[in-house]
Amino acid sequence: MSESTAPPEDEEVAHHDEHESTGVENRKLGMWVFLSSEFLFFGALITNYLLYFGREFEQGPTPSEIYDIPFTSVSSFVLLMSSLTMVLAHNALTRRDQGATRTWLLATAMLGSVFLAGQVFEFTEFIVEYDMTLSTNPAASSFYVLTGFHGTHVAIGVIMLLSLFGLSKRLGGLSERQHLNLELVGLYWHFVDIIWIVIFTVVYLLTATSGG
Amino acid sequence: MTEEHHATHPQPAQYVKIAVVLATLTAVEVGLYYLNNSLSLGWINTALLLILAALKFLIVIGWYMHLRFEKRTLSRFFGFGFVLALTLYAVVLVGFGVLALNR
Amino acid sequence: MTTAAERAATIFRRPAPEKGIWSWITTVDHKRIGVMYGYSAFIFFIIGGLEALLLRIHLSQAESNFLTAAEYNGLFTTHGVTMVFLVIMPMGAAFMNYLLPLMIGARDVAFPRLNALSYWIFLFGGLFLYSGILFSGMAAPIGVEGVSGNLDPSDITRLGALPDGGWFFYQPNASRDFSPGTAVDFAALGLQILGIASLISAVNFIVTIFNLRAKGMRLLRMPVFIWMSLVVAFLLLFSLPIIAIALFMVTFDRQFGTLFFDATGGGDPILWQHLFWLFGHPEVYILILPAMGIVSEILPVFSRKPLFGYAAVVFAGAGIGFLGFGVWAHHMFASGITPAAQAGFGIATMTIAVPTGVKIFNWLGTMWLGRIRLAPPMLFAIGFLAMFTIGGLSGVTHSIVPSDWQQTDTYYIVGHFHYVLFGGAIFGIFGGLYYWFPKFAGRMLNERLGKIHFWLWFIGFNMTFAPMHWLGFQGMIRRTWRYHPSLEFWNQIVSIGAFIIALGLVVFIFNWVRSRRHGPIAGMDPWDARTLEWSIPNPTPVHNFSTVPTVHGLDEFWHRKYGEDDEGRPVRKDDADSYVARLGEEGNDPAVPIHLPNPTYFPFLMAAGLPLIGYGIIFHTSAVGKALIAIGVLLSLSALMGWATEPLEEGHHGPVEAH
Repeated sequence: MSESTAPPEDEEVAHHDEHESTGVENRKLGMWVFLSSEFLFFGALITNYLLYFGREFEQGPTPSEIYDIPFTSVSSFVLLMSSLTMVLAHNALTRRDQGATRTWLLATAMLGSVFLAGQVFEFTEFIVEYDMTLSTNPAASSFYVLTGFHGTHVAIGVIMLLSLFGLSKRLGGLSERQHLNLELVGLYWHFVDIIWIVIFTVVYLLTATSGG
Repeated sequence: MTEEHHATHPQPAQYVKIAVVLATLTAVEVGLYYLNNSLSLGWINTALLLILAALKFLIVIGWYMHLRFEKRTLSRFFGFGFVLALTLYAVVLVGFGVLALNR
Repeated sequence: MTTAAERAATIFRRPAPEKGIWSWITTVDHKRIGVMYGYSAFIFFIIGGLEALLLRIHLSQAESNFLTAAEYNGLFTTHGVTMVFLVIMPMGAAFMNYLLPLMIGARDVAFPRLNALSYWIFLFGGLFLYSGILFSGMAAPIGVEGVSGNLDPSDITRLGALPDGGWFFYQPNASRDFSPGTAVDFAALGLQILGIASLISAVNFIVTIFNLRAKGMRLLRMPVFIWMSLVVAFLLLFSLPIIAIALFMVTFDRQFGTLFFDATGGGDPILWQHLFWLFGHPEVYILILPAMGIVSEILPVFSRKPLFGYAAVVFAGAGIGFLGFGVWAHHMFASGITPAAQAGFGIATMTIAVPTGVKIFNWLGTMWLGRIRLAPPMLFAIGFLAMFTIGGLSGVTHSIVPSDWQQTDTYYIVGHFHYVLFGGAIFGIFGGLYYWFPKFAGRMLNERLGKIHFWLWFIGFNMTFAPMHWLGFQGMIRRTWRYHPSLEFWNQIVSIGAFIIALGLVVFIFNWVRSRRHGPIAGMDPWDARTLEWSIPNPTPVHNFSTVPTVHGLDEFWHRKYGEDDEGRPVRKDDADSYVARLGEEGNDPAVPIHLPNPTYFPFLMAAGLPLIGYGIIFHTSAVGKALIAIGVLLSLSALMGWATEPLEEGHHGPVEAH
C-alpha cells in the first residue's frame, strides 16, 4: 500500500479505538475506575484520624477540641453549592451554550477557591490561635494531612476548571471531544465533594468536643 | 455520546431542587449536632448523622455524578472500591479497638 | 480530524520519528513500551543479583568482615526493594504491555500516551531511588541533633547510604531518629513515584480489557493471562493508594515532624505495619499472578491439550486476588496483635490455599496424558509448578500461628518467599521470555542453551534456597550480619548455589544477544500455539492486526487450525497450513490504511518532573530544594497542558514497515 498524506474520504479507514465493549467511553470508564481507588486513599487518611482523635496526648490541643463548627458548616455549604454550579456547567454544554458553560465553570472554580481560602483560614487559626501544628500530637498530624490532601485535590480541580475555562475562552467554545473532558472534570469535582461530605460528618461533627 | 443521554438528563431546575435538598440535609445535620450538645443523644446522634451523610453522599453520586442513569458496570466498579475500603479499614479500626466495645 | 482551532492550540508540532532514540522516547506503541519495561527490568535484575552475590559472599563465613554491618543492612534492603519493585513488577508490566492488545485482538491499549507515561515514571522512579547512594550523609532530616539508639552517624559509609531498614521499612527503625541521613527518604519517595506508574497502568489495563476486546471475545473467552492481568490491575488499583498514604506518612514524619508513628509523641508504630501489609500482601499476588498467567498459556501449547478447567483456573485466580486483601495481618502474628485477630487471619490465610490448589491441580491436569514437548518454555513452566508448590506449602505452614511464631524472622521465611518469587515468578517470567521471544524478535532462542540455562537454574536455585528452610529451624535469624559458626556449612552450600544461578543467567544473556541477530527465523506460528497473538507475523507488525479477527470461542486461533476426531483428539485441518501462510501475508500488508496514535514527548517530560519534586522534598530546607519542587511541578503541569491540547492524529498512517 502506498502511503498518502491525506486521509482517504470514502475508503474504510481503520482507527485505533473503534468500539467499546462495555458501552461506556474509555475515558469515562477510566475516570470511574480511578475514582473508586481514591476511596482507599481517603479511607486510609480518615482511618488514621479516627485512630488518634480521642487519645490522650502529652501535648494538646487535639483538633476535636477546637473545631469551629459554624465556620466549617458554611464552607461545607459552599463546596456543596459548587457541585451544583458544576452540574449546571455540564448541562449548559449539552445545550451548546458556550457562554453559560464558561460562567458556571468560573463559578465552580470560584466557589472551590472560597472553600480553599476557608481551609487556609482554619489552619491559620489553629496554628496561631491554638498553637496546634503538624507536630503537636498524632491527632493533629492526622487532621492536617487528611484535610490537606483533600484541599490539594480541590486545588487540582480548580486548576482543571480554569483550564477548561481558558480553553473555551481561547477557542470560542469547547469542541465535541471536550464535552467528555468537562464531564470527567465534573465527576472528579463531585467526588472531591462527596469525600468532604464524609469528612464533615465523620471528622468534624462526630468527633467535635468543642461544643461549637 | 452525551447526546444520547440528553433525554434522561435532569433539567437545570431539577439540579437546583437537588441542591436545596442537599443544603437542607446539611442544615439538619448541623442542627442535630447542636441538639446533641445539649441532650447527649449518644449512639442515636451517631446513627442519624451517618444516615444524613449517607443520603447526601448517594444523592450527589446518583444525580450529580449521574450514576443512576449510567450503565451498571460503573456502579459496580465504584461500589466495589467503596465496600472494599469500608471493610478493610473497619477491620483495622476494630483491631486497634477504636470501633470495638472498649471505647 | 482536527479543526483549525485545535491545531492552533498546539504549542509545538507533534513529532513523528520512526528510528533512533527519539522514536523510543516519544513512542506510544504498547509493544515498544513493553520492550523498554523488559530491558529496564532485566538490568535491575542483574543489579539486584549482584547485590545478592555480595550478600552471599559475606554470608559464606559466620564471622565475615567482607561487608560492614551498615553495608550489609543496606544491601539486603536494596536487594529486596530492587527485586520486588524494579524487577518482578516491571517484568510483569513488560509482558502485559506487549501481549494485552495482541491477545484480545486490539491495536493498542485504551490510553497509549498514559501507557508511555507509566513507563517513564517507572524508569525515573527507579533511577531516583538508586541515586540516593550519591547523597550519603547529606542533609540529614531536620531536627535531628544527635542520634538515639546505637547507630553511629559516622557509620554511614558510601554503601551504607543505601536504605537499610528492610524492604518493609518498619517503624521506628526507619524513622529519622534511627535512620538518619537521606537513604530512607530516597526509598520512600522513589517507591511513591513508582506507585504512581503502576496505578496509571492499572487504570489503563482495566479499561483496555473491558473495552477493547475483539468482536466475540467475551470475558470468559479471554486467555488466562489476560484474566490474571485483569486481577493484577484491580489489586494494584486498590492496594497502591494505601501504600501511597503510608509512604506520605513516613515521609512527613521524617521531613515535616508529624507524629504518625512516633511512640514518644503518642503515635503508633504498629499502624505502619497495618498500612504497609494492607498493600504488601496484595502486592505479593501482584507479583505471582502474571507468572501464573504465563504458565497457563505455556502448558497447554506444550502439552498439546487445552487448559484443564479454564473457568476454574480463572475464578481461582480471581479468588486468590480477592482473598489476598483479607490476610495482611499474617505478617504481624508476632507483632502483638490480639489472639482473636491471629485466629481470624490464620484461618483466612489457610483458605487461600484452596484456590491455589485448584490452579495447581488444573495445571497438572493439563499436562496429564498430553503429548509433552520439553522445550525451554515448558521446562520453566514445569519448574514453576514444582517450585511454586513447595513455596506455597511452606506458606501454609506460616498460616498456623504458633508455627509461624517460630518461623518468623528466620531463614525459613527467606526460603519460603524465594521459592514462590524466584522459583515461581522468575521461573514463570523466563518461561515467558523463551516462549514469546519469536513474537518480539522474529527469531528463535537456541534450545540447547535454553536447556542448559534451565538445569543450571534448577540445580543452583534449589541449592541456594532449600537449605534456608532448615537453617531457619536451626535458629539462623533473618537480616543478620553474623550468625552462629555451626550454621556455616549450609551457608556455604547456599552461596555456591547462588553463583550457579549467576552462571545460568550468563548463559541466558549470551543466548539472547546471539539469537537476536543470528537465531533461526521464526516464521509464522513457530510453537503451533492456541491464542490470537500467534495469528499475526513474527516479529509483530507495528499495527498488530491487519484485520481484527472475530472470535467464536476460547482458543480461537487453535480451532481455526484444528478440528477434533471422535475421541476428542485434535486433528489438523487440511487447509491449516495455507490458512496460516495467508495470515502471514495479510498480516504484513493490510488492505486498508490504519491510523495509529502519534508519538509524543509529553509523557516523557511529565514524568521527568516527578524526580525533581522528589529531590526538592528531600532538600526542602534549602533554597535549591524549594526551587526544585517548583520547577518539577511546573514541568509536569506544562507537559500535562501540552498533552491535553495536542491534536490526536495528524495523518500518521499505517502500514509502516515492520521493525
